[in-house]
Amino acid sequence: MIRSTERLKICLVASAGGHTSQLLELSESWSGNHTFWITTASALREMLSKYGQVYVVGECNREHPLRVLRVLALCMSIIIRQRPDVVISAGAAVGCITCFLGWLSGAKIIWLDSITNVDRISLSGRMVRYIADVFLVQWPELAQKYSKVEYAGEVI
Amino acid sequence: MIFLTVGTQFPFDRLVRAIDGIIDDGLISETLFAQIGESSYRPRNFGSAARLEKKVFDERLKQASSIISHAGMGTITMALSNHKPLLVMPRLKRYHEVVNDHQVAIARKFAELGHILVAYDVKDLPDGIKKLKNFIPRERKINSEAVVNRIRSFLESLG
Repeated sequence: MIRSTERLKICLVASAGGHTSQLLELSESWSGNHTFWITTASALREMLSKYGQVYVVGECNREHPLRVLRVLALCMSIIIRQRPDVVISAGAAVGCITCFLGWLSGAKIIWLDSITNVDRISLSGRMVRYIADVFLVQWPELAQKYSKVEYAGEVI
Repeated sequence: MIFLTVGTQFPFDRLVRAIDGIIDDGLISETLFAQIGESSYRPRNFGSAARLEKKVFDERLKQASSIISHAGMGTITMALSNHKPLLVMPRLKRYHEVVNDHQVAIARKFAELGHILVAYDVKDLPDGIKKLKNFIPRERKINSEAVVNRIRSFLESLG
């Protein structure tokens, strides 16, 4: 449930590297709300800590199913503890996992697909598209190609 | 000075070795400096470092007359924001240089838009290098404000 008198609690989630850079470009959109971060690399902990609590869950991708399970378990415990109102992600696998967990717990879902997805949206994005409240791509052609997808601009 | 960079994550010897050979052939007259990752290949014709601190990297990029690199988004955006002519060669899955061929798609898209030059393979490099000297990259306009506003208005609709 969304609390009307309080700021929103927002979960920011992206894997380390370009996905994180792109999500950080959106920082003005969530400023003023209560945020926390789920990331994949401990090297980012300090830099991200200005946005609230930082959880480091480790890297995972579809090539390593056991790591996916581990990250799934970690993210589940974080989502259950934090109960965010909104999840904002720029990918990749960790973002996909967290979006589904957030959605199951009643959160609104915002997805920014990476600029590097030129001809088609990411595999993670193709799944999250069905549960996302706002799904943004960074190439106008992609918004024409897929339903439930919109183009507002590009962030990098 | 031409700055050759392969990004911070993995070496890209196919590109570094090819550039070394092109210098042997006398096709590059300028000095060249390279950031080549943790590679076992030692270039014969130019100075190199595995990694560069961000500050040093930025300096090299600013000093460079042109840039040659893999088709990583980080390098592409840095070159464009510094208005540097950039020639990319995409990493390819078939050589195990990357997990998928997204760099080919990025390179093609940015080249189509006039922002960069692309050599899809080693054999395209000499031609790309010839064009690089006189290449004026088309400026890239981004609109992150529109994306921010879209998300902000959605969040406000919840509050």
